[in-house]
Amino acid sequence: MSLLDWLVLGGSLVGIVLYGVWRGRGNRDLGAYLLADRTMRWPTITLSIMATQASAITFLSTPGQGFADGMRFVQFYFGLPIAMVILAATAVPIYHRLKVFTAYEYLERRFDVKTRTLAATLFLVQRGLAAGLTIYAPSLILSVLLGWNLHITNLVMGGLVVIYTTSGGAKAVSHTQFLQMMVIFFGFGVAFVCILASLPGGITIADAVVVAGKLGKLNAVDFSFDLQNRYNFWSGLIGGLFVALSYFGTDQSQVGRYLTGRSIAESRTGLLANGIVKVPMQFTILFLGAMVYVFFLFSAQPVFFNPVEAERVRSSTHGAEFRRVEERYEAASETRRARAVEYVEARREGSAASAAQAEKALLEADAVTKAAREDAIGVIQKNDPNAQTSDTNYVFLSFVLRHLPAGIVGLVLAAIFAASMSSTSAELNALSSTTCVDYYKRFVDRTPDNADPVTAHRDVLVSKGATVFWALFAIGFAEYASRLGSLIEAVNILGSLVYGTILGVFLVAFYLKRVGGTAVFAAALVSEAAVVACFLFTDISFLWYNAVGCLGVIAIALLLASWGVDAKKSVPVTA
Amino acid sequence: MTDEKPPFGGSWSRLYALVLLNLAALIALLTWFTKAFE
Repeated sequence: MSLLDWLVLGGSLVGIVLYGVWRGRGNRDLGAYLLADRTMRWPTITLSIMATQASAITFLSTPGQGFADGMRFVQFYFGLPIAMVILAATAVPIYHRLKVFTAYEYLERRFDVKTRTLAATLFLVQRGLAAGLTIYAPSLILSVLLGWNLHITNLVMGGLVVIYTTSGGAKAVSHTQFLQMMVIFFGFGVAFVCILASLPGGITIADAVVVAGKLGKLNAVDFSFDLQNRYNFWSGLIGGLFVALSYFGTDQSQVGRYLTGRSIAESRTGLLANGIVKVPMQFTILFLGAMVYVFFLFSAQPVFFNPVEAERVRSSTHGAEFRRVEERYEAASETRRARAVEYVEARREGSAASAAQAEKALLEADAVTKAAREDAIGVIQKNDPNAQTSDTNYVFLSFVLRHLPAGIVGLVLAAIFAASMSSTSAELNALSSTTCVDYYKRFVDRTPDNADPVTAHRDVLVSKGATVFWALFAIGFAEYASRLGSLIEAVNILGSLVYGTILGVFLVAFYLKRVGGTAVFAAALVSEAAVVACFLFTDISFLWYNAVGCLGVIAIALLLASWGVDAKKSVPVTA
Repeated sequence: MTDEKPPFGGSWSRLYALVLLNLAALIALLTWFTKAFE
């Protein structure tokens, strides 16, 4: 990294932290600290929601997925806009009208304290671990590619966030997320332009798109129905709907974002705007990955993008075998490059027959290159069966570090840090809210928050203490996080194990007024066991876990209520 | 509170329809994109 890159990166990070501290001044009570006094307008809410969901993992892994697997991951987001409409119409008015601080607070009003505490506990466990991954995943990638110390990178990632999140609470989180999204959009926009400008002479953007399509990288939609296929139209629309309903409707890190809205209209519009822009945003990031694939068709690329794993096998007893595979890969890449140029030229000449022949040759050359890469991965695995054999998370940053000019590298790194900070800050704010509101104010000190200035001050201090505690927990987990497959999927799988059950509890609360607390509590425990069994003993794609957990809770709760379990004790609370 | 007008679009029903139509249009566009370049 050049001095200019360091200046851009350092300046951006210091600017974000100072801005957060400045915008977060003057928190008198929990309403101000946890919900920014409910003063936010919808554009800030939209960007805050997007920034919370789009972590650094999103911006590092998603282009890598586009590179390795094409565009089909975009289907994961097809259910999201529908979920935004459902939540805007139902959950938002209920939460606003009851003036709750957390989503789980509503569950006690509707059911009982044990259901509220179960949901809050599942959230704290899942989100606490996820906050650790939010810090760990980008730190690992940056440390591998830049040679940075992993522990120091973890500390810097987590430490910068804790400064402004602890001092400024929700106000600091929302305002910095606005700024962070600007850095992210600008950084990735510039990277996108640079990729297109880096294509070799004679290769136009149109050529790049056609070549990417022929090599199977623009496969955005697949209508085939297959429960084992992780990303197709149906799993995205149905499974993705359940994931989005759970995440945006019941996860406090998102509920806390739109509860900062100054009115129902502002919160609703913030969610709906997210529903409009999310799919195009993900498409753009995946498309960027597909263009990186085309770029590497025309220039040298490593056989494996994780340099630490590659070096480990090179210096092992399998080193000679790995080097032979590398040489074979380089030769295959050279051939593929020549075939790609021939294909582009054949298309330009306008002869359908020669274009078809050139296309066939290109596909064959691509298959040979892929086979050599698979062999390289096989050698890595033979050397160490526990080695990380997925390098998709390293592809985009490898490209940035090798091929983008000084200054732009620092800008992209600033965008990655900004994405990590934006997600982590929302997670810490939500973990603090739940700890303070659903535990401290529920079981320790039940005095109303704004009863007197002393109580209000003490509550804010407890919330700040909870923020620091969860930051230390997340950084500690990041320090000990073991190797994972594709990092973005690991986070999604972790969420999917509990999201469905929590969503089921909330849907019963919203719509099944005759079901009481004990019935839904028992249903939640049984359904969670079923989800864990699916994870351990079946090959069903994780996107379906949400449907299993949610429908399980609804069905079992209805069954128990029909048997008379707790059916008359519920007190409906709706908008 | 629930009767508040949206900042644009006239009514909530229209805004919800806009989001869903936008999704349908995006899926149609992406399907065309997949077919056109496969």
